[in-house]
Amino acid sequence: MRPPQFIHSTTFHWALAVGGVLAIFVSMLFGFIYWNTDSYLIARSDGMTTGQMNILAAVPAERRLYSINQHLKEDSRNVQYAGLFGADGRWIGGNLEQMPPELNVNDTVRGVSVVKELPSGPERRVIRAIARRLPGGEVLVIGREVDEANKISHVVGMALTLGLLPGFCLCLLAGAWLSMRAQERVEEVNQRVQRIIAGDLRERLPHRNVDEPLSKLAIIVNGMLDEMETMIHALAGVGNDIAHDLRTPLTRARLTLERGRTNAASLQQLQTVVDRAVVGIDQALTIVTALLRLAEIENSRRSACFGNVAMHEMLGEVRDIYEPIAENKNITLRVDAACHLTVRGDRDLLIEAVANVVDNAVKFTPEGGRVDIELLHADGEVILRVTDTGCGISEQERDAVQRRFYRSDKIRNTPGVGLGLNLVAAIVKLHGFRLAIFPGPGCRVEIICADELMVSGTDRHSAREFRDGITHSPKAAVVAAAKSI
Amino acid sequence: MARLLLIEDDGETAEEIAAELADCGFEVEWAADGIEGLDKARALRPDAMIVDRLLPGMDGLTVIEALRKDQVRTPVLVLSALGAVDDRVRGLRMGGDDYLTKPFAFVELIARIEALLRRPAESRETTLRAGPLELDLIARTVKRGDRVIDLLPREFRLLEYMMQRSDQLLTRAMLLEEVWNYKFIPATNLVDVHMGRLRHKVDGPGDIPMIHNVRGAGFILRTGP
Repeated sequence: MRPPQFIHSTTFHWALAVGGVLAIFVSMLFGFIYWNTDSYLIARSDGMTTGQMNILAAVPAERRLYSINQHLKEDSRNVQYAGLFGADGRWIGGNLEQMPPELNVNDTVRGVSVVKELPSGPERRVIRAIARRLPGGEVLVIGREVDEANKISHVVGMALTLGLLPGFCLCLLAGAWLSMRAQERVEEVNQRVQRIIAGDLRERLPHRNVDEPLSKLAIIVNGMLDEMETMIHALAGVGNDIAHDLRTPLTRARLTLERGRTNAASLQQLQTVVDRAVVGIDQALTIVTALLRLAEIENSRRSACFGNVAMHEMLGEVRDIYEPIAENKNITLRVDAACHLTVRGDRDLLIEAVANVVDNAVKFTPEGGRVDIELLHADGEVILRVTDTGCGISEQERDAVQRRFYRSDKIRNTPGVGLGLNLVAAIVKLHGFRLAIFPGPGCRVEIICADELMVSGTDRHSAREFRDGITHSPKAAVVAAAKSI
Repeated sequence: MARLLLIEDDGETAEEIAAELADCGFEVEWAADGIEGLDKARALRPDAMIVDRLLPGMDGLTVIEALRKDQVRTPVLVLSALGAVDDRVRGLRMGGDDYLTKPFAFVELIARIEALLRRPAESRETTLRAGPLELDLIARTVKRGDRVIDLLPREFRLLEYMMQRSDQLLTRAMLLEEVWNYKFIPATNLVDVHMGRLRHKVDGPGDIPMIHNVRGAGFILRTGP
């Protein structure tokens, strides 16, 4: 027969070990109590025996036998022994008819073995006895049976059997129960996990109450599963978006080529067709590049190439780039970076983010309009604000613009792939900043950086790095970035 | 005639690239894997190499490393489907001189090969000259003949870069990387706008135009007629 499975479980082994240790400990405790009580009782009994001897030895010779018999008669528990022997060893009186051979005359009290005449027959008993030679040459032996010690050992033995054995068995049972229960839980979890592996992403691990370790673990794992389910669904959504946005230009290119192949009558016509097809393919490639770039930013670890970035200098650079473009469109581009603020970040990425926002602002502002870039420090925050007088973003579209590939119907005819703000959002998130978009007559986009993320000196800088380690671990940043997919 | 070595494992791609390079007047040798490529590079001593990053046998960067160890300084253009900045930087650090992400336009490839073959020599010259243009790197002044041209800092850098590579086709991507230090392609065609302003200043009324727009390709600073 195969032993039950729980025998191999660690829980059961531990229960067994604990039970064993408990048994040893209890046995030692009982032993200690037994030995101490026993030696105390023997010492007391020996004192009494010596006292009896002194009294009986002092009794005059003619009354001695009478006194001995009297002494024995008063012993209701039948534990006293006495014997009077002549100088030649002949028995004179008392209930001891033979001088115990181990007993030395005039010694202290010691344990000797004697034969006791009982109605059921003679029986060997161990008693504590003392022998003394009397002035007349006789030898007087006084003894006492220490039966209390026997009773105590009996009680201790009983206690051990009655207490320890059931206790040990209980321990084993508890161990077996616990291990079986754990095994059941593991089996249950395993079944659910198998279902998740098989593709049922909505499955969760079972848990009962919050204080049980396994349930706690299950709750943690469930949290992770929630996160992963969201991510996987988001990825699937992105996949659909990509499929749609790539298929559109590719379909166009394919149709153009197919029709061109059939219809083109001259080389020039064919070249026109091919040019149009190349434009379509390039558009598809732009989308792929933008998506890869987005994935790269979202997956990049925080602070990989972080340094101190002077925001006002960066804005100067952005102005250099966009001023001619704005001027060409007759748009006033104003940069107001009165305060000199330095933040911690990746300079290239921050320029990319700000350039994207400004690019959008310039693109969507009609001729004669204006774009304002301001760097403010207010309410414990560094705010980079880009305001334009373009068509703006309506309340309903505010969240939508941060989705991938979202292009407002108002701007359908403006070139672009609709990933710009995603990129900005990803970069902003990577830095621990916030992106806020306000609807209005024009559009106002703010990149907000909490004061703690600002660097104003070397000592603040090191303090920030320390703080970074606690609240913005790279992993947390990656999770945060992953959430936005 | 410049001799080029192309190390690319995909036969069809290699054939197209080789044909295009031949059309542009290059002599092209082809190697299909890293080991063959390394052997050919040692034996033929080409003027420049085009190396795919992912190759069977020995990857592209290892080939370049091996050559650099042998003190072969042949300029290399690395082709790769990996577009990440880290990879790009690593590719360049390991000895490749330029990096082009697949897929690419032929015009981009040719422009970059030309640029590699005609790398400006290290010089201590503080004045650059191209045709009637004169650019003083210390005083930061520009003259066309006797006419002083007033440039903004970014325009100055753009012209400096173009004068170092006069009579070469410079693509928008090359200009963005080198002049603007951009690692991304912005949506707006900012190179065209800046180039338009520079051209306006350099080519005054009555002057023979020097800055030319090559349609669908990029820009060129012509010193001759």
